[in-house]
Amino acid sequence: MLTRADLAKYPFLAEASEYVRELGFSIDDIASPEFTPVLDRATSRLEEALSKGRVSSPATDDERTEILSFPVSNLILSLTGEERAKRRFALAEAKRAYELLRQETPEKLQHIATGTFHWTLRRVDLQLGQRVYDFALALPDYLRNATSLREPKWKLPNRVLDHGFVYTARDETARLLEEEVAGRIVNRSARLPGRPPKLLQPRVEQTRGLISKWLGTPQTFELPKVPVPEAMPPCVRHVIEQLDEAKNVPHMGRFALAAFLLNIGADQEEIVRLFTTKWNTSED
Amino acid sequence: MDPTSQTIQQQFQRYYLEPARRITGPQSMANREFGFLLFKEKFMVRHRSFRTNEQLLGAIRDLVPAHVYFSTARYKEPTATMEEKGWEGADLVFDIDADHLDTECKPTHDNWKCKGCGNVGRGSAPKICPSCKNDRFEEQTWLCEKCLRQAKEETEKLLDIVISDFGVDPSNLRIFFSGHRGYHVHVNSKDLSGLDEEERKEIVDYVLGLGLETKLQGLNQTSSGGVTTVEGPMMGEPGWRGRIVTGIYDLLSEGVENLQLGSAQTQAFKEWNREALFTKPFWNSVRGAGLGTWQALALKAVQKKSSRIDTVVTTDIHRLIRLPGTLNGHTGLLAVEVQSERLDDFDPFTESTVFAGSMKVHVKEAPSFRLGTVHLGPFHDESVTLPAAAAMLLLCKRRAEPAT
Repeated sequence: MLTRADLAKYPFLAEASEYVRELGFSIDDIASPEFTPVLDRATSRLEEALSKGRVSSPATDDERTEILSFPVSNLILSLTGEERAKRRFALAEAKRAYELLRQETPEKLQHIATGTFHWTLRRVDLQLGQRVYDFALALPDYLRNATSLREPKWKLPNRVLDHGFVYTARDETARLLEEEVAGRIVNRSARLPGRPPKLLQPRVEQTRGLISKWLGTPQTFELPKVPVPEAMPPCVRHVIEQLDEAKNVPHMGRFALAAFLLNIGADQEEIVRLFTTKWNTSED
Repeated sequence: MDPTSQTIQQQFQRYYLEPARRITGPQSMANREFGFLLFKEKFMVRHRSFRTNEQLLGAIRDLVPAHVYFSTARYKEPTATMEEKGWEGADLVFDIDADHLDTECKPTHDNWKCKGCGNVGRGSAPKICPSCKNDRFEEQTWLCEKCLRQAKEETEKLLDIVISDFGVDPSNLRIFFSGHRGYHVHVNSKDLSGLDEEERKEIVDYVLGLGLETKLQGLNQTSSGGVTTVEGPMMGEPGWRGRIVTGIYDLLSEGVENLQLGSAQTQAFKEWNREALFTKPFWNSVRGAGLGTWQALALKAVQKKSSRIDTVVTTDIHRLIRLPGTLNGHTGLLAVEVQSERLDDFDPFTESTVFAGSMKVHVKEAPSFRLGTVHLGPFHDESVTLPAAAAMLLLCKRRAEPAT
């Protein structure tokens, strides 16, 4: 059903992984000169993704390089240890896939969706009013991918549901697949080799540079060291307010407050002081 | 514990201790968390799990709780802390509660008191107190026939959506009367049990018709050669498309006058044969009714056909929900399963009463009501001997105290 040209277009597919496995490369082969085009293409994928949020599909007949470069991009990215870049790369690759998927025949879309992604997707030929639907997609598969899409047309109340299936047009199906593709690439765990080949090191460094150039340096926020009353949940603030007004607070409320304060790391002496002044208890 | 709670608990204990008593736990029982709300200090015993129905009944007999709950979720370790339970999916659950319905009778049997300033009012409590802006209230509600009938109608609409649109096989559906003010619908479907909170929110919005745009359900107009034509969904089409048309049919059947249309349009709709909705196309066959009118009607139809479910219950994937076959501490009525084919005939005021004999109570204030075939009340500050089920209802609703 899928040709090698298809695998070059969609290197995230299960069939593409299978193809790579069958080529029988080991990690050391990366060092061989014949692998340079693969490394170059892997780097260009990353560079485009990080700089533009897009990856273009080159007019090439070197399908093997296209297919192989994808897992190598993943490998390099994993070696940088930069999680945030992973998502950007995944989205960029998924967008590229969408542009190609939307031009595919319904048969091929169905093959990809049901094969790699295990969707329950039926072909239909249905017109309701002006709308033409090509597919009926199982409700859970639809929801998993549509909840992140914000346009009103993706909201479930605006869809046509029929006995557990959501009708979709061809282009919509491709768009939902884009979401699935992004998810698959993000969750793809690149198996890190025990000792990354030396030859990859410059590519990893180069990618790190690209990441800080395009994504900046991550900001870290430090949690406050002392309890901040404004940041406490309303129920806790309510208990404190009641105590401030010298109102009686039930045992469970006092217990919850003490437990909460201990949990957020309030000083024990501080808590006891709160007890003694407000609750008129002795320290024994 | 106050004397009222003591009396209620004694009666509950007698019920649960009957030798022939059986309780059936939910499917995949060993993977569920159970919770018990005790009479004493309203303490919640949580994170319990049971392998057999006998163990579960044993715990209920030991604790004699006011309420018995189980998790809609299945867990690897149901007794572990929330973080460590290991969520493995949750039934899709719907709750229809008269508390969330705007029934006309509410002002006659419900009232509220502001916890801030003591202001009182009739009907459901407002969002904030009109005099002191406080948002905390003491509420007194009553379970009335009209409210429960409305809740049942909402349940019927829900079932239609769940079966026809979500594709749930009726054999995977169970309907329960909660023993108080509503109905629960449990969907046990492998396909839907993995849905996360955000996905369930979409399900909720679909059932409520929330965010539905009529244009996206096909109601639109086109212009060609200076002629504007309205087009829209047809009767019998799947999902909200068909439901909008049947909703419009229902609205027109109930009376054109209530639709707040202009006088010319009201007249035109009156003269129009609404059976045209069954044929096609009809969107251009009412004089003076253009896209705007049809849109307004379609939105009213969505309101009419949507089911007023509780949004929180369905979205919460860690929810504890009442176990059927147990007593509801708010009423002393039994939470019971209702077979879907006889939902229409189900009478909550007959089929969920369990206490036999009679009891003497002092009633502070209670509206007139019916239990089984007996009509009782209204009561005002009086000691009366009542059928036990009625006395328990009043005790549980805190409308009465035990009398000797």
